Amino acid sequence: MSAVSHAELMRDNTIDDPTQRAPLVTNDSSFGDVTQAVAGVAEAKPPIGWLICFGVASVGAVMLVSCIGWLVWMGVGVWGNMTPVAWAWDITNFVFWVGIGHAGTLISAVLFLMRQKWRMSINRFAEAMTIFAVICAAIFPGVHVGRAWLAYWLFPIPNQMQMWPQFRSPLLWDVFAVGTYATTSILFWYFGMIPDLATLRDRAKSTIAKIGYGIFSLGWTGSARHWHRYERAYLLLAGLATPLVLSVHSVVSFDFAVSQLPGWHTTIFPPYFVAGAIFSGFAMVMNLAIPARAIFKLEHLITMRHLENMNKVILATGMMVGYAYGMEFFTAWYSGNPQEVFAFKNRAFGPYWWAYWTMVSCNVISPQFFWFKKLRTSIPVMFVLCIFVNIGMWFERFVITVTSLHRDSLPSSWAYYQPTHIDIMMLVGSFGLFFTLFFLFLKYLPIIAMAEMKTVMPQAHAHGDHHGPATKHAHTAGAH
Amino acid sequence: MAHSKVPERTSGDTKVYSYLAEYPTPQALIEACKAVRDAGYKKWDAYSPFPVHGIDPAMGIRPTILPWIVLGAGLTGMLLGLVMQIGLNAFDYPWIISGKPLWSVPAFVPVAFETTILLSALTTFGGCLVLNNLPDLYHPLFKKKRFAKATDDKFFISIESDDKLFDEQKTKSLLERTHPTALETVEDDRKVNSALPRPIVYGLLIATFLSFVPMARIAQARYTKTTDPRFNLVSNMDYQEKYKSQRGTSFFADKRTMRPPIPGTVAQDTLALDDRYSRGVEPGTNDKFISDFPPQFSVNAGAMQRGRERFEIYCAPCHGLAGYGDGMVARRAEELAEGTWVAPTSLHEPRLANEPLGYFYNVISNGVRNMPGYASQVTEEDRWLIVLYLRALQRSQAGSVDDVPADQRGALR
Amino acid sequence: MNGPTLVELPKDNYSFGAAGKRLTTIGAVVGVLALSGAAAMGAAADDHLGRFLHAYLLAFYYVLTVALGCLFFVGIQYLFRAGWSVTVRRLAELGAGTLPALAILALPIIVATAMGNHTLYTWTDHEVVKQSHLLEHKAPYLNLNFFLVRCVAYFGIWALLSWFFLSRSTKQDASGDPKLTRSMEIVSGPATILFALTLTFASIDLIMSLAPTWFSTMIGVYFFAGAATSSLSFLILFAMALQKSGRMVNVLNTEHYHDLGKLLFGFTFFWSYVCFSQFMLIWYANIPEETEFYLHRFQGPWLAFSWFLLLGHWAFPMAGLLSRHVKRNRKALAFFAVWLLVMHYVDIAWYVLPTVGGHDAHGIPFGPMEVLCWVGMIGVFLAVVGFLGSRRSLVPLKDPRVTEALQFENI
Repeated sequence: MSAVSHAELMRDNTIDDPTQRAPLVTNDSSFGDVTQAVAGVAEAKPPIGWLICFGVASVGAVMLVSCIGWLVWMGVGVWGNMTPVAWAWDITNFVFWVGIGHAGTLISAVLFLMRQKWRMSINRFAEAMTIFAVICAAIFPGVHVGRAWLAYWLFPIPNQMQMWPQFRSPLLWDVFAVGTYATTSILFWYFGMIPDLATLRDRAKSTIAKIGYGIFSLGWTGSARHWHRYERAYLLLAGLATPLVLSVHSVVSFDFAVSQLPGWHTTIFPPYFVAGAIFSGFAMVMNLAIPARAIFKLEHLITMRHLENMNKVILATGMMVGYAYGMEFFTAWYSGNPQEVFAFKNRAFGPYWWAYWTMVSCNVISPQFFWFKKLRTSIPVMFVLCIFVNIGMWFERFVITVTSLHRDSLPSSWAYYQPTHIDIMMLVGSFGLFFTLFFLFLKYLPIIAMAEMKTVMPQAHAHGDHHGPATKHAHTAGAH
Repeated sequence: MAHSKVPERTSGDTKVYSYLAEYPTPQALIEACKAVRDAGYKKWDAYSPFPVHGIDPAMGIRPTILPWIVLGAGLTGMLLGLVMQIGLNAFDYPWIISGKPLWSVPAFVPVAFETTILLSALTTFGGCLVLNNLPDLYHPLFKKKRFAKATDDKFFISIESDDKLFDEQKTKSLLERTHPTALETVEDDRKVNSALPRPIVYGLLIATFLSFVPMARIAQARYTKTTDPRFNLVSNMDYQEKYKSQRGTSFFADKRTMRPPIPGTVAQDTLALDDRYSRGVEPGTNDKFISDFPPQFSVNAGAMQRGRERFEIYCAPCHGLAGYGDGMVARRAEELAEGTWVAPTSLHEPRLANEPLGYFYNVISNGVRNMPGYASQVTEEDRWLIVLYLRALQRSQAGSVDDVPADQRGALR
Repeated sequence: MNGPTLVELPKDNYSFGAAGKRLTTIGAVVGVLALSGAAAMGAAADDHLGRFLHAYLLAFYYVLTVALGCLFFVGIQYLFRAGWSVTVRRLAELGAGTLPALAILALPIIVATAMGNHTLYTWTDHEVVKQSHLLEHKAPYLNLNFFLVRCVAYFGIWALLSWFFLSRSTKQDASGDPKLTRSMEIVSGPATILFALTLTFASIDLIMSLAPTWFSTMIGVYFFAGAATSSLSFLILFAMALQKSGRMVNVLNTEHYHDLGKLLFGFTFFWSYVCFSQFMLIWYANIPEETEFYLHRFQGPWLAFSWFLLLGHWAFPMAGLLSRHVKRNRKALAFFAVWLLVMHYVDIAWYVLPTVGGHDAHGIPFGPMEVLCWVGMIGVFLAVVGFLGSRRSLVPLKDPRVTEALQFENI
C-alpha cells in the first residue's frame, strides 16, 4: 500500500516512493494550461527583470565583438599567449564552452533514449544552451588562427594553391566534429521546436508574429501521419546525436592526448572529457533554469524533482571526473616516466598550485554536498554549487592547457603565463554573447517543449488497443 | 468566397475539401479513428497537439521508410568521408606529418565518423520534411478558426473529399456517430490562393539571374590575365617595412640592401688553415684527395674505439653496423617499398676499396648523391676517426687466412 | 503511470525447480572434470604451469567480468529507479550471486603466485625486479603482499554487494515491503562507486600487470565495457532459455528483449569507442613504452587475431544490432548474444595470451587446455547460478515497480 498520498506528492514530488512515480507536472494542469503557461511567456510583455538582464548581457556581447575586432586588427599578440604557453585562454575558453554545449544534446538525446521523461521540461533550454555555447566556442579557435580571414583554409575547398587540409591533424578533426555538432544540434533543436512554433503561430495576434512563426513552423498541422514520421525522425536524430556527443568532446580531447606532452598524453582523456563536459553542461543548465523558472513562474513544470535529478547527474559526473583525476595521477606514477611524474607534481605543487586546487575543490569536493537530500533540494545551495562547478570546469581546462605547457622540456624556456586585459574581456564578453542569445530565446521562442510536455500528462494516455490494465489509472496524476 | 454550411461539389471556386470533426480528448480521437479506419477510408487524417500514443494502429499507419533512407545516407557519408581523406591526403596532396603513413586510417576515423553523422542527420531532417510534404505554408484547414486549437488542446479528424468512399451523407453520418464536439465542412480554395504574388515571382527571377553574376565573374577571372597589381583586401604581411635581399636602397653607397662581409671575414668554425686536415685534399687543390691520414692525426686503439662509436651513431642507421648498406632505416624503407628510396651504398664495394682516405672524409663532410653532409654534426677530428674505423671495417670484410697471426690459425675452423 | 496498489503477476511458472538442480549437478561435474583435466595437462607440460595459469586466468577473468557486469546491471537499475527491467533483474542478481563462489575459483591464481610461481606476474620475482629500474619504481604498488591484500578487498566487496542485493530482493518476494527497494536504491550509489574502483584496480592487477611495464589509464573503462556487453548477452540468453523451457513466459516479452538489445548495441558501441580511443592515442603518440604492447599484438599470427577482434567485436555486431527488427527478433538477438559472448573471450585472450612464456610463444597458444578451462569455468558459473536460482523465484514477485515492467512499450 502506498505510504505517501497523492496530495503529498503533488506538494513535494522529490519524495522517493518505490510504489509510485512522482508527478512531473505538479498542479493538475490541462493541456490548455500548459500552452498558456509556455506560449504566454513569448506573448507577454517582457518582465523588467528580463530587460535588465538582456541589457547587461548585450553590453558584454558588444565588448566581445570589440575585442575580436581589436584582435583581428592587431594580431594575437594582444593576448598573453607566448612561448612555451602557446595555447592559453583561447583554447581554455573553447573547450569550456564546447563542454557546456554537451549537456543540451545529452539531455535531449540520451535521456530521451533512456525514456527519462523528466527531461521534457528542460530539454528545450538545454538544446538552446548547446547552440549558444557552441557559437561562443567556435569563436575562439576561429580567431586564434591569427589571420582569421583565412580560416576557410580549414575546410577542404579546392583552391589555386592546390593544397588540401591535413586530415591527420586532430585540429582538423575538431573542425569537422564541432561543425557536425553545431549543425546537428541546430537541426535537433529546430526540429523539436516545429510543433511548438505552430502553436505560437496559431495564437499569434500581430502580423509580424504570424508571418515569422508561420514561416518557421513550415505549415505544421499536427497531422497524425506527420507525427508518425516526426517521432521516428526525432528518435533517429536522438540516436545519431548520442554517439555524436561522445565523439565531439573525445575529438577535443584528442587535440591534447595525441601529443607526447606529459599531462596531455593519457588514454583516459576521451571519456574523461565527455564526463567533464556533461558535468559542466548540467551545472550551466541549472544556473539558467533556476532563475528562468522563477522569473516566468514555471515552477509547476520545472519542478523540484527535475532540479534534484539534475543535481544527481552532476554528482555522478563529478565522481567520474574525480575518478579520471585519480587515475591520471596514479598512472603518472605507475608509468615510472619521470617527466610524467614531474608534470603532475608540478600541477599540484608548482606555480599554478592555486589553479589545480581550485579545480579539485570545485569539481570533486563541491558536488559531494549533493549526497544530502536537504542540500540538493535547496535552491540557493544548488545554485551556488553549480556556479562553483562551472568555475571548476573552466579551471580544469586552464590547468590542463597552461600547467602542462609552462614547464617545457627545455628549462630555459620555462615561463609563467599571465592573461592580458583582452584575454579577460573576451572571456567575460563570451558570457555576454551567450546570455544575450539566451535571453532572446527566452523571450521569443517556446522555452519548454509544449507538445512533448503534453504527452507526459495523465490525460494524454489514451491506451486503446492493447493494454487493458493501464486504462484504469488514466485519471491518476502520475507519469512514467 | 461563399461559406455554405451544406457542402457543394461544384466546379466553381469553392469545392469541399473535407469534413472536419473535433474531439475533446485523445481517447475520443482514437475511438473515432478506429471507426473511420474500419469504414475503409484512405484519404483522411487525424490532427492533435502532440503525438497520441496508440494512434498509429488505430489509424492503420504503416511504419515509415525513413530509417532505411537514413541508413543509406549514413553509409554514403562514411564512404565519402573516407574517400575524401584518402584521396586528398594520400593521392592528391601526399604530405606526411609526424611520421604517419599516407593511408593513416586510424587518423581518418574521426572525420569519417563525423561525415557519417552529418549526412545522416541532414537526411533525417530533410527526409522527414519531404515525406511529410513540408514546408507547405498553406493548408485549407488553416482557414478554420476552430482548427487553431489543433496545436493547443483539441483533437480533429478530417476526411477528404478526394477519397473514393467520400459521400456527403454517409461520411457525415459516420463522423456524427463518433460523437464529435463539432462537425464542419472545409472549403478547398487552394486553386485561388496557391499562386505566388506577381512581385515576388519577378523578384525571385531577378535574384536568380543576379546570383549567376559573381560566379561568371570568377570564371572570367580564371581565364584572363592582367598586369594590375593584386587586389589586397587584407595586406597580410605582403608589404613590410624592411629591406629584402636583392633589392636596391639609397642608404648605402653601392645601392644594395645586401651587405657583403668585411674582407677577410671567416664564418665561425670554417677557418680551414690546413687543407689536409680540414678538407682532406692536397693543399691548394679541390679534388686531389690525400691518401694518408693528415700528420696531426694519430692512430691508436682509443681512436679506433671512438671512431667505431661515432660510426655506429651517424653512419650505421643507413649503412648498417657492418657497412653493407643494410641499416635499420634502409631495411624499413625497403619494406615500405615506396619507390622513392635510393639504397645506401655498401662500404665494401670494390670501387670504394681503392678510394683515397680524403675521399671518405670529403663525403662525410659534404655528402654525396642522396647522402647529406655531416659537417654540422660531426667535428673534423671525429670525421677522421670515422674514416679510420671505416678503413678497418673494409679490411675486416676483405681478410684472408694470411691476416690471422700464424699462432692463432689453429683456432679457425 | 502506475497506481499505488501492488499488481498480481500473471499466472506463470517462476520456479527453476528441478531444472536448476540439474543445472547445478551437470555444471559442477563438467566444471570439476574440465578444470582438473586442464590442470593435469598443465602439470604435464614443462613450463612451470605457465600456459595453464594463463589459460585459467583467461577463463576466470571471463566469467568474473560476466558476473561483475550482472552486479553493475543490478546496481544501475536501482540507481535509475528503473521499472522496465524488474522482470529480468533477478536473473542478473543470480549472475552476480556467483561472485562469492568466484572468489574461491580465484585461489589457484592467487595461491600459485603467492607460492612463488612467477610465470603469470613476473613482477613478483625479486630477481626480475632487481634488474628493472621500472619495476623497482613500481614495487610499492606491484608487490606480492599488497597484491594479496587488494585481492581480498576486491572479492570481499563484490561478495558483500552481490549478497546484499540478492538477499534483499529475495526477502521482498515474501514481504513486498517497498522499504527494501528504498534501501537498495540508497546503497546503489555508493555501490556503483565501489564497483568502478574495484573493477579498475582488479583489471590493473590481474590483466594489465601481466605486462608490468605497460600502462593505460583507460584499462578500467575498457573492461567495464567488456563486462557490460558480456553480461547483457548472458542475460538475454538466460532469459530466452528459461522462456523456452516454459518459465516466465508471460512476464518477459519482445519489449524487454528490445531494450536489452538496445543496451547491448549501446555497449558494443561503447566498447568500440574505448578500444579505438586507447589504440589511437597510443598509435599516434608512438612512445616506445606504450606501443610495445601493441607491437606484440601486431606481429605474426597476432595481427590476424587483432583484426578478428576488431571486426568481430565492433563492425559485425554493430552492423547487425543496428536495426530494431534484429533486436525484436529472438533468434537474431540470440545469435548476436552468443557471438558477443565468444568475442568477449577473444577480447580477454587478446590481452592475456600474448604474454604466455614472456611473449615467446610460437603461434597463438590456444588448444584443448584453454578450451577445457573455458568450458569448466562456465560450468562452475552455471552450477552456482542454478544452485541460487532453484532456491528462489526467477522473477521478483512483489517488487513495487513490477507493473511497469509488464506494461511498457518501446516507441
